[in-house]
Amino acid sequence: MSAPLRRIRRAAAGELLGPLETAVMDKVWKRGPLTVRDIVDDLARTRGLAYTTVMTVMVRLHGKGLLARERAGKTYVYRAAFTRDEHRAVLSRDLARGLVSQLGDAALAAFSAELDEVDATHRAALRRLASKRTKGR
Amino acid sequence: MRADRAFGLVLALALGSSAILGVLLAVIIPHADHVLRYGPDDLVDAVTLLLLVLATCGIALGLGSLFRQLLATLALIRGLVSKRVIAPRRVRRIGRELGLDGRIDVVADTRPFSFTYWFRRPRICLSTALVRRLANDELRAVLMHERYHLRQRDPLRVVIARYFAASMYVVPVVDELASFYALQKEIAADDDAVRHFGTTPLARALYKLLPDAPERELGLLIPVTGLSVTEARIERLVAGRELPMQLSPRAIALSVGALAGATVLASIGAGTSVAFANLPPLVAVPGLLVGPASLLFAAAVNGGAHQVRLVAGLVARA
Repeated sequence: MSAPLRRIRRAAAGELLGPLETAVMDKVWKRGPLTVRDIVDDLARTRGLAYTTVMTVMVRLHGKGLLARERAGKTYVYRAAFTRDEHRAVLSRDLARGLVSQLGDAALAAFSAELDEVDATHRAALRRLASKRTKGR
Repeated sequence: MRADRAFGLVLALALGSSAILGVLLAVIIPHADHVLRYGPDDLVDAVTLLLLVLATCGIALGLGSLFRQLLATLALIRGLVSKRVIAPRRVRRIGRELGLDGRIDVVADTRPFSFTYWFRRPRICLSTALVRRLANDELRAVLMHERYHLRQRDPLRVVIARYFAASMYVVPVVDELASFYALQKEIAADDDAVRHFGTTPLARALYKLLPDAPERELGLLIPVTGLSVTEARIERLVAGRELPMQLSPRAIALSVGALAGATVLASIGAGTSVAFANLPPLVAVPGLLVGPASLLFAAAVNGGAHQVRLVAGLVARA
């Protein structure tokens, strides 16, 4: 199974990020570029975590493409590859694509299908209509 | 209703084309045994063999489409509907209001979705994520949309339209009409929900289900071709605009050519009739045999390639 498809399947199961991965991403989004040591020290205030555990998680997030890293001397400085909003958009689109892929050739009629194939203009027009209080066309 | 008309058009064109191609198949069958037993000796035998291959491909594509759809539907039911949970009270209440008592399944899933499935007595499937995300009036609008599909038995119509689109691959207009029907049934279901509850609840429900993405305010929508199904539905909701049925000139030309070719070939027994044998070969062979067979072959190559791309896309996504 290809990596993107695995990611979609995990996203479909709501398992794109584990609890520790989420905690690390939250710190990086909040504070900007950080080293493993920065995260360990930060998380140590609420829970005790080994340096190697956090390093493993950050390497995994780098492998998933969520963290970018640059070498600074003997250590790596990690930064978020996407903003939080961009990440939410990617996750949300992956969920929709995962659903369409799962529905595949099934014989059904769906209210929600191909929802990822909406351009920004139509999205904005729908938002304006959805925000109206009056009924009827 | 445009959806009904679109489905009627698919059926009429597919059955009409089936009749022409069926007659052609019937007239070559007596000669086919000889060709299959001893191999093609001349041009008439070669055309007979070509027609047999095209007919076999059509039958295989049609049956393949039926099996794929049935298997995918069963897999979906096993995978999703087996995660059924007790429907929340408000779903049951709204279902009763809309006459859908006992016809709604709620499944535990983190993705917000709803669909109508199964053929003889269709059912509606809602995910827990969708129920959580929608307010009562929005849920009512979505269920009204699904009720339309349920009452029209749209899952069964989808199977039939896709079957004809695959088996009638030499008449590519059938496939385009089937796609047009797939769009029109969603618009008709939206229209039904809007007629009962107004535009806003349905628009809010649709907006809430769109994946997060950036927006650009570009003012009024500009009617364009190549809209996705959801974009066309939004145009309909926002501007009340109906998309005209647009058949590509290429599909029309290939379909007309294929049916005209099949008619000519059937009328001369694909070169085996006495009338054909009595005509001057220099005129009859290119005009009544090779020309019509080429038209049929060109349409078959085009339609066959499209069906192969379709199946390859499904396999890649699975």
